[in-house]
Formats: sequence, structure tokens, C-alpha cells
Amino acid sequence: MNSWILLPVCLPVIVGACLLISLAFDRRKDASGPSEEELKRLHILVFFTLIATTVFTLALVWAGKGSLALFEIVKGIPVYFQIDGAGRLFAAIFCIAWTAVGIYAFTYMPHEGKEKQFFAFYLIVFGVLIALAFSGNLVTMYLFYELMTVTSAPLVLHNGSREAIMASLKYLFYSMCGAYLGLFALFFLYQNCDTLTFTAGGTLNPELAAQNGTILLIAVFAALIGFGAKAGMFPLHAWLPTAHPVAPSPASAVLSGVIAKAGVLAVLRVVYYVAGADFLRGSWVQTAWMTLTLLTVFMGSLLAFREPVFKKRLAYSTVSQVSYILFGLSLLSPTAFEGAMLHTVFHMFIKCTLFLVAGVFIVKCNKTRVDELDGIGKQMPGTLWCFTFASLALIGIPPTSGFISKWYLAQGALEANVGVFGWLGPVILLVSALLTAGYLLPVTMKGFFPGKDYPSVPKDDAPKGMLYPVLFLTAIAVLPGVIPNPLIGFISRIADLVF
Amino acid sequence: MNAAILAVVVLLPVLAGALIPFIPFKNRLWMMVYIEAAVLLVTILMFVTLFNQPQEEFVLFRFAGNLSLSFKLDGLGSVFAGLVAFLWPLATLYSFEYMKHEGHEKYFFMFYTMTYGITLGIALAEDIVTMYCFYEALSIVTLPLVIHTLTREAILAGRTYVYYMLGGAAFGFIGLAFVLIYGTTSNFVPGGVLDFAKIGDHRNMILFTYVMCFFGFSIKTAIWPFCSWLPKAGVAPTPVTALLHAVAVVKAGAFAAMRVTYYSFGADFLRGTWAQGVVMAAVIITIVYGCSRAVKETHMKRRLAWSTVSNLSYVLFGVVLMSPLGLAGAMSHMVFHAFIKISAFFCVGAVIYKTGREYVHQLNGFGYRMPKVFVVFTISGLALMGVPGLAGFVSKWNLVKAALDAGTGAAYLGIAALLVSALLTAIYMMTIVVRAFFPGKDFDFSTISDVEDPNWMMILPLTVFTIAIIYFGVCSGWFTDMLEQISSVM
Repeated sequence: MNSWILLPVCLPVIVGACLLISLAFDRRKDASGPSEEELKRLHILVFFTLIATTVFTLALVWAGKGSLALFEIVKGIPVYFQIDGAGRLFAAIFCIAWTAVGIYAFTYMPHEGKEKQFFAFYLIVFGVLIALAFSGNLVTMYLFYELMTVTSAPLVLHNGSREAIMASLKYLFYSMCGAYLGLFALFFLYQNCDTLTFTAGGTLNPELAAQNGTILLIAVFAALIGFGAKAGMFPLHAWLPTAHPVAPSPASAVLSGVIAKAGVLAVLRVVYYVAGADFLRGSWVQTAWMTLTLLTVFMGSLLAFREPVFKKRLAYSTVSQVSYILFGLSLLSPTAFEGAMLHTVFHMFIKCTLFLVAGVFIVKCNKTRVDELDGIGKQMPGTLWCFTFASLALIGIPPTSGFISKWYLAQGALEANVGVFGWLGPVILLVSALLTAGYLLPVTMKGFFPGKDYPSVPKDDAPKGMLYPVLFLTAIAVLPGVIPNPLIGFISRIADLVF
Repeated sequence: MNAAILAVVVLLPVLAGALIPFIPFKNRLWMMVYIEAAVLLVTILMFVTLFNQPQEEFVLFRFAGNLSLSFKLDGLGSVFAGLVAFLWPLATLYSFEYMKHEGHEKYFFMFYTMTYGITLGIALAEDIVTMYCFYEALSIVTLPLVIHTLTREAILAGRTYVYYMLGGAAFGFIGLAFVLIYGTTSNFVPGGVLDFAKIGDHRNMILFTYVMCFFGFSIKTAIWPFCSWLPKAGVAPTPVTALLHAVAVVKAGAFAAMRVTYYSFGADFLRGTWAQGVVMAAVIITIVYGCSRAVKETHMKRRLAWSTVSNLSYVLFGVVLMSPLGLAGAMSHMVFHAFIKISAFFCVGAVIYKTGREYVHQLNGFGYRMPKVFVVFTISGLALMGVPGLAGFVSKWNLVKAALDAGTGAAYLGIAALLVSALLTAIYMMTIVVRAFFPGKDFDFSTISDVEDPNWMMILPLTVFTIAIIYFGVCSGWFTDMLEQISSVM
């Protein structure tokens, strides 16, 4: 049973690698693009790979247990997979979002070209992400974290413009910088922990931890900054607004929605599964971490508010929103933890929806700036309604999902006994929510009500191949606000274990 | 097994090499067969010897007094000898193809093959005097290889090379003299040979000579501030840069540093002294300085040479931790870096051989025309960055484990330096990879339509190295155990 864990990891990676190899042969033959027939075959192949991987992953998530040790990377530390609560949650949402966006990409990508290359890397990153979610120890996680960085860089530079290539290099180097900070922490954790295998509650050896307290705190802080880079946390956030918008829209969606969450997962693993929440509670690291996340929340929203380019605005929004999650984690209290996990799930689907809508606007009418979007609701009401619902959820208006997660976050902050942050946190979250409304709702308003001088346009909504994935994502992004209990129940069981 | 075989493996390549210009080969093929056969024979003999581990010494001849030229195989020597013996036949194979476009092949292969024997001589030397003799010989025999092209640039580089090498050896000689005076024996003994009764209150003087000696031998390892010779020597043909200036010569320096630190002066004597502080500082500076220069450099071979400067100091970092674990870490990086860097250099050499392009910005789109070469280059780049699952991570891990074990502030600083260097490594390697595979949308592939992968003589060594990099990445347990066992005798 246990070796089945490899299946959803290897399947997309192997298919992706085969696509890359065939790509190398194509390039030698001639420069002309693939024919209709070939594209169709490609789409079918990718589609079935995505579906099969999702099915296998969900089956593993459903089974809910199992572990697998492979060869040893270094002496005593194998590549190790295990299925635990957090891994199940992340794997499930990773593969749902990844598949939905992938299906959207079939219709979107002809607009960008080089589809084979795109889908090859898209599949490889998918496999790596599943592996990341199921990683059972810190070294394995680090391995897949690095691989994820390297294999997702080609998604950013897809269109091959100079701007995109520079952005992908910026992405690569910020992520590497982050990863090496994480590695620094990994070394010290290795020295001071009984094991690097993820164990809810942490594995720190109390004697050694007391002895090496200072350097260990510095190391954990380095990990927070480092893995926080992927999640766009200040001070290593600057790559995100550069890299996310230049990628093709499906790639932007998964970068913002999914890959940023891989950073969250890494932080979660280091803090709650290796170092342990008790070790950080009340230390300067917690204070510094809370300060950084709140700063990022506020700064991201403010920059999004000022940003005229639509996708860039959404990228700044990601900076801000992912730091909500990190703020929840930094409070080290069960309620805030639940809020953070809920926001991870909701933000993933919401941000995928928003970026896919931005992609529709680009494909259909080549509009990239917010001020060009006046009256877009006349032309594409369905798409804009999806955008509106997702926006409301992101702002946190009841009864949408975002309200629930923010409620938990605010409540967690008040409970957490963290002094001034207990009220400062909720206040900043509230201000940021107002800013969120400020940068998202004008699109809806102007889109539906462009003013009376606006010429009437025929209704011409997004093609079905794009609209249905967007509708699907909107539904699963917004609806948990109405029936949140199964999800909350699952998450609170994780929280019970780690605290 | 008779220990005389140690002398055979050292002298055979020297002799076989020296004969090359005098044998009237019918054609080039015969010369290739002769050289490859000789090199392979030595390698086979070397490995047979390694598996049998003869314990006795072999004295070639005696100078005045108790000084002698003698060989003996021990753990550390086995690692270095095994490494060199494994790489040499493959590098020779590669050189046959590469040297077609350089000319003067006979003289090239003469010195190239002789270097093999002399490097083995360093690895198998029983005492500091023997090692010193071969060390000097290595400087001299490799000089013609550096100035091979006889351009003005090459001759200038050769001059720098020889000044640095002989200067370094002179400093090394100071250490040698003091070890002879204050030691109980000139042989290498794990744990050191110093006689503390003789030293008395001359402790600081001995430490000072150690620092001199360490820097002297480490000049070959391009330690800051004596590192500029290595990038300059990049004018040599690529097989020389790859094998000698990434493995044999520079690692002979690291090897000599290990010998004097652990086997002559003794790590226990040095640990915690100001001497350790001085050498550690120089090593940490070199780690960061080397790869900063690599990022700045746009000439491919010089970029890799700067990267070598930095990575060699990883090895030295392990050495100056002055602990058994440090020595094990140093040895593992010595071996793994050899595979990684020779592989990267051979890729660059293949590009130079096929197209004559030497600068990073000329590589746009090459990944599609030379896929095999650039896949290998990518793997070696990732390994050099320390991605887990490849060899580079293992050696970094071993070094850091030793540093954590040492637990001093300087050691922690060294860990930080390793990581900064890893980031810079990512920058200087990945920019090349991105360029090669993603040339940008306006790139005109017809400008590189004549570029193609080289033939099997270049691809075979690259494949072997890549397999080794991956193999050691996924199962290094036995190797680490072996190294820790070797170093545990301290």
C-alpha cells in the first residue's frame, strides 16, 4: 500500500519529462508550431494525467495514513514520505486547484503559444508539489522545495520576453536565497532535534534546546524569513509582484494560489512539526514574526490599492493575503491556527479565480489595466460575477468563506495573549480588508456600471473551456462560507495534535 | 602484496609519458591507443593496490641521513589516489578529442601523462619530504601545460603560475624544516609528530610556521589572497583546466594541507589556537570572495575557475575545523567537487571545441543544439548549488555536521559563508542554464544551426561523471562511513 504514495508524484513528473524530451526533438525538426491534431492529443494526455493524479492523490488523502522511506540522502536521513493531517489538507487542495487551472489552460494557452513546454513544466511542478505535501521529514521537504523552485521558474519566463526572463531569474534567486536560509535552520534543527521526521508538536530535544537557545532561535527566524520568501513575506517579497504578473495567467494563478501556499506549508512544518510552538511562544522570534507579517499585510494591500495594472494588483493582493495566513501561524494559538489553515484553503481558490478572470480579460479583449475594464460586465457578465463573488469572499463579507477565516484569525489574535498584537492584529486585518474592498470592488462597479455614455456592447462571455473552471473555482471558494463545518472539523483535529 | 607496486604506479606514467615524443607512432590512432593503454594500466594497478591495501612501506632511495623517498598507502592517500586514478583515463579520452584543435599533441600528452604519476606520488608519499619533492615536481611538470598555446597571454599566465607555485613551495619548505627539527619522525602519523619536549616554550613559533606552511601549500588550492593565479591559468587547454586546475593540482594542495595539519603538526595541537583563527578567517573569506568573483566574471572558464577557488576553500574549511569529522567532510567535498567541477568544465570545453565561443552571453539557445552537454551542465550546476539528491549536498552536509560539532562562533560563521556561497553559486550557474534553454522569444535559431553535441569521446566521460554525481547523491552512506572511519584514527 505504502509505495502507492509514489504514484501521484511520479506520474505527472514522468509525463512532463517525456513531453520535454519530445520537445527537444521537435525543435530540431522544424520551427513551425504544432498542428491542431497534435495539440488535441497533447490536451488529452495532459487532461488524463491531471485527472489520474488528482484521483490517486485524493485516494491517498482519503486513506489518510501510510509512510514510505526511500534511499538515504545523507547518512541516517532518508527521502521519507508520510501522510498526516496537514499533508492531506494541502495535497487535496493543491490537486483540486491545479487540475481546475490546468483545464482552463487548455483554452487559454493557444493565446501564449509553446504549449508543450508549458504543460510539461506544469505537470512536473504538480508532481513535485504533491511530493512536497506528503514529505515526511525536513530534508525531504527541502529537496522538493528546491525542485519546485527550479521547475516552476520556466512557467514564469514562458513568454520569453526579456522582462519575463529577468523576472524568472529574480524569482529563482529570491527563492534560492530563501531556501538557503531554510537550509541554515535545517542544519541547526538537525543538531538539536531528536529527529527531523515531522511530528505534531515538535521534536526539539529539551536539553539541547536549552543549551543552544539563542542560535536556535536565530536559525528558526532564518527559516521563517527564508520559507516566507515563497509566501511573499517582507523582506523577501519583492520578487512576487514582478514574477507573478508576467507569467501566463494560469501560471500566475497557480503561482499565487498554490505555490505561495507551499511556502506556508514549509513554515508550518518548521514551526509546528519540528521546532514546536512552545519553543517560540513568547520569544523575540514570535514578536518579530508577527511584526513582519502585519507589516506585509498592510503594505501589500496599500500597494495593491495604488496599482493600475490588473494582474500586478492581484499579485500585491497575494502578498497581503498570504501574510494573513502567516500572521495566523505566528500567533501560536489553536484558534488562529485554524483561521490560518482556513484562509489557506479559501485564498487558494479565491486567488486562482481572480487570476483566471484576469486571464479571460486578456484573451478576450487584451485588457491588462484596471482603467480599461469599464463596462466589461456588459460584455462578460458571467465572468465578472465570478470575479465579484470571489472579491467579496476575499474582503470577508459574510456569509462568504473569507469571513469565517478572518473571524477565526481575529478571535485567535484576541485569545493568544500576545500583548499589543492582540488588538493591533485585528485592527490591521480590518484596515486591510477595507483596502481590499477598495482595490477589488471598483472593478465590479465600473464593470457593471460604466456610466450612461457607455456604448452598448453585445454579450460575448468567456468560452466554456475557461468559464466552467472559473465557475467551479468560484463555487468552492465561496460556498464553504455557508457550510464550513466539515472543513473546520478537519482542521481543528490537526490543531488539536499540534498544540 | 608487495609494496613495490606503489613505486610502479608512480614511475610508470612518468616513464610512459616521457617516452611519447620519442616513439615513432604510425598515426594518431596508435598514439591514442598507447597513451590510453598506459593510463588505464596504471589505473587498474592503482585500484588493485587500493583493494589489497599493502601495509608496508617502500623506500625508493635514501638521501643523506634519515631522509628518504618512500611510499606507503594509508586511508587519506587511498581516497586521493583513488579519485585521481578514476578520473585520469576518462579525462585522457576527452583530451584526445579536444586536443585535435590545439596542436603540439605529443608534448601535451607527454606532460599530461607524467602529471598523473606525480600526482599519485603526492597521494602515496609516506613522509613530508617525499611529498614535498613530488609537490615541486608537480609545479614544474604542469607549467608546459599551462603555456601550451604559447600565446602572450598564456606565457604571462605561466609566469604567474610558476611564481606562485614556487613561492608557495618555499613557504611549505619552512614548515617542512620545522617538522623535521621539532618532530619525532618525518613520516606522516595520524595525530601529528611534534615532540612537545623539544618545543618547550617555542609554541608560538611553531604555530607561526604552521600558518606559513598552511598558506604555502594552500597556494595551490588558491586560498585568498593568493588566488589570482587560478583564473589566469584558465588560458590552458580545457583538459588541463578541468583535470589539473579543478582536481589534481589544486587538490594536491588541499591534500598537502590535510597532511601537514592532521599528520604532521597535529589537529589537537592546533585546535583553538590563534593559528586556527588565522587560517579559518582566510578560508571563510575565500569561500565568499571566490564566488562573488565568479558571479562578476563573464568568461565561462574563468567563471568556473573562480567557482573552483570558492569550492576548494570548502575543502579547506573542513581541514581547518581541526577535527576528525572536519577531515571527513573535507575529503568528501574533495571527491564530490572533483566530479562536479570536471563535469562542468568538460561541458564548457565541449562548447569551446565545437564553436569557439567562450563567453556566457554567447550561449543563448545552446541547450537545444547541444542537449546532452547542457543537461549534464545543468545537473552539475544543481549539484554545485547543493540540491539534495545530488553529490554536492552530501559533502556540504558533512562539512556542516563537522562545523556544528565544533560549535565555535567561527564555525557557525563558516556555515553562513557556505550558504551565501551556495546562493551565489545558484546565480552564476543558473544564469547560464536559463540562457541556454530559454534564449528569449526573438532568438534566431539559425545563428547557431551548426552547433551540435560532440562525439562519444567527450560524451562518455560526461555520462560517467553525471552517473557518479547522482549515485553519490542517492547512496553516499557507505562512502561517508568509510571517510569517517579513515579520519577517526586521529
